[in-house]
Amino acid sequence: MKFEPRLPRDDVNVSRTHPLRETAQLVAGVTLLTGAFVVAAFLAVELGVRFLPASWEQRIFSGWTEGLDEADARTEPVQDLVNRLAAHWPENPYDLRVVILEDETPNAFAAPGGSILVTSGLLDAAESENELAFVLSHEVGHFRGRDHLRALGRGLVLQVAVQTAIASSAANLPALITDLASRSFGREQEQSADAFGLGLVQAEYGHVSGAENFFERLPDARADFGDELGAWFATHPVTEGRIEELADLTRRNGWQDEAPLRPLHLSP
Amino acid sequence: MKLSNTETIPGHTIREFYGVVSGSTVRAKHVGRDLMAGLKNLVGGELKGYTELLQEARQEAVDRMVEQARSVGANAVVNVRFSTSSVTQGAAELFAYGTAVQVD
Amino acid sequence: MEPWIEPAIRLGFPLALLAVTYFIGSTVERRHQHNLRQRELRSRNLPALTFATPPADWRIEDSALVTGSVVISIDYFKRFLAGLRGLFGGRIASYESLLDRARREALLRLKESAFEGGYRAVVNVRLETSRLASSTRRGEGTSGVEVLAFGTALKLPRV
Repeated sequence: MKFEPRLPRDDVNVSRTHPLRETAQLVAGVTLLTGAFVVAAFLAVELGVRFLPASWEQRIFSGWTEGLDEADARTEPVQDLVNRLAAHWPENPYDLRVVILEDETPNAFAAPGGSILVTSGLLDAAESENELAFVLSHEVGHFRGRDHLRALGRGLVLQVAVQTAIASSAANLPALITDLASRSFGREQEQSADAFGLGLVQAEYGHVSGAENFFERLPDARADFGDELGAWFATHPVTEGRIEELADLTRRNGWQDEAPLRPLHLSP
Repeated sequence: MKLSNTETIPGHTIREFYGVVSGSTVRAKHVGRDLMAGLKNLVGGELKGYTELLQEARQEAVDRMVEQARSVGANAVVNVRFSTSSVTQGAAELFAYGTAVQVD
Repeated sequence: MEPWIEPAIRLGFPLALLAVTYFIGSTVERRHQHNLRQRELRSRNLPALTFATPPADWRIEDSALVTGSVVISIDYFKRFLAGLRGLFGGRIASYESLLDRARREALLRLKESAFEGGYRAVVNVRLETSRLASSTRRGEGTSGVEVLAFGTALKLPRV
């Protein structure tokens, strides 16, 4: 036996594909898959939302806000305001209930089951009945669009999507995609809730004056309150565009927005 | 003490064999080694701290195996094999084993 | 805060990390592979064989057990790529190159250690690979691989 020193090729045990190209392919694959799943799931949620009657919804979710009502003295006048505004929505299937939460941060939500949650901070920050009316009408607008149900459904679907894809956990790519997807849809709903809300205010008061006062106060308010008002706007993102949208809508419908505001009376 | 991972010590003949002898040690690394490893995890490359750790541990395992062999009166260990296992977070067991023999 | 800022940061930071580790990692790898080739050329005259019985005509003066080992870690980019692969299946190219490098390095160290001891050949070479399982954070382990090469080195008369 004779030893002949020969070196084998050293590129055999490594793959030829360039890592960047492979990454691009895989990322595209993941994005497509996640995107397809999200689209399919959101469609399913849409169908579910459309076919769930309000009466069922109220029955299913009636227990949600039971423990929350802090028996605030202001509940009655606010409830009265909501009823007056909702009267301008004849097809309203809900028995809208106002629940006041003791919280300094101004915020308002539409909760499944027909409850409008309002924080005491919001009531404290409101300076006229008109602007409070707009905030409440905006929430009523969400009920009309079944947005709260949609948000619930989508939230669940996204959780499932993220959890199943989390096994690979490749830099949380699926989580990021689903996150971005949920944000962009939200804006449409906000805009239509805004439009509907403005319509209710117009129907109740005969003008829309004061409706966007909250928004206009915001830049200064943000300086003073810092994070507090920020909370409402985190869930209801305010951009210059939103104020313009409202102004546009006012102009298109020929609504009046220079009229005396009704002062806020919240004591029973 | 002669060691070999072949069945015989090359150039010698086995007169007697005494059975399996082994040496093992479980070593943990200290936190300092892991910090550098954390950085290396980002950019890749040799984890010198771990390499040295495992080399020392392996040497210790071999030394223990030799001690066992000496205790049975052998002058060589053949067919030596190694095994490494991670037993717990940040620790590894190094195991060396072979057959203790008497060669001429 | 503009609504797009948060997702941009959440996306941007991992992307930046991926880019940086890709460049540094691939440079480190290329340099290592070049270095490996050089040393393989230099040590090609010391045979490392996997059979146990040396050629009959070799006159063996001495023998000893020799080892060579290395622990190599994978970089962030490669780990990310491997994770993506985990979704679709197929060859994980990033780990392939890691193991290839580790094995070649271990074998070279075996040869170099034999050479330093005055030995001129290694027989019955065996390779063992094991994974490092230490973790600093849950789910983000130290992705390192240890390769051990060991064999019996032989002292041969100078020809």
